[in-house]
Amino acid sequence: MADELKFPDADGKRDDDSIGEPLVSLIREAYTPPDAAAWPDMYWAGLERRIMSRVSAEAEKSWWAELLPWGRIVLAAAGAIFAVAGVINYEMAEPDEQIAYEAIAQPDLTSASDEPIASQYLTSDNDAVTLRYFLSN
Amino acid sequence: MRIPDEERALAKAARDGDQNAFAGLVRLHQRRAYLVARAIVTVHEDAEDAVQDGFVRAYDAMNRFDTSQSFGPWLNRIVANAALDIARRRKVRNTDELTDALRSPFRDPAEDAELKARLAEALAQLPDRARSVIVLHDVEGFTHAEIGDMLGIPGGTARSDLHHARQKLRGLLKDLKE
Repeated sequence: MADELKFPDADGKRDDDSIGEPLVSLIREAYTPPDAAAWPDMYWAGLERRIMSRVSAEAEKSWWAELLPWGRIVLAAAGAIFAVAGVINYEMAEPDEQIAYEAIAQPDLTSASDEPIASQYLTSDNDAVTLRYFLSN
Repeated sequence: MRIPDEERALAKAARDGDQNAFAGLVRLHQRRAYLVARAIVTVHEDAEDAVQDGFVRAYDAMNRFDTSQSFGPWLNRIVANAALDIARRRKVRNTDELTDALRSPFRDPAEDAELKARLAEALAQLPDRARSVIVLHDVEGFTHAEIGDMLGIPGGTARSDLHHARQKLRGLLKDLKE
């Protein structure tokens, strides 16, 4: 059966060594996808969908992979900006704290009221005055 | 070789990231790609996996595809490589699997079951590369150079493999011929 028909070679010449068209047909039929034999259009459309779904998933993955190095750069830049802003904020906040601290630690005696403090001393002065009053009378 | 305008336009658009254009290329080439894969892995499910892997790899490599060339041979090389990877991973195959794989498309019980079973057995007895070469050349019509390119062997080796594979297949099917 192998010699019944000859299969032309790709360059157009007769290939006398060919296995023959009946055997070629049998192998071709055997290597047809099982579902394609019964519903060819449905089978090939289904395979196309499966291929494209994998291609889309792969494309999405590579999009993220491409974005990741940029994401790192953006994150690093944001971190640096945040750190610089923090330092500037700290530097600007320090005089206020200093003023607040100095206001507490070194009170301005010229402007401060002396009544409560004076009253304590006056109390002792008053005692002395009172004592001197009683002694003199 | 003249490349059809439709294919060239699709390849250019797909290279620019157009997935619909790539789907057009899938539609044009998936049948041939399947047969290339099936010639190498023999089992339907493996052939489907190889075709899907091949198209995904081709999509990833589109930016390296020269659109002045035909897409088919470039794709077939990629699919053949994907199929060879699968074949290497699943080296241990028993002949029953191949016989079943060959039987499955024949749904008509009136057909000559013995002939098909014998063909399946004969193909299973061929070395992997010999079977691939005979299917790719005699069934799919690829040249020796194209087959060599796909399987990673010199064209001359593909030619000599083909010669020996045919001889062996004839020997195995000799009694059927009679």
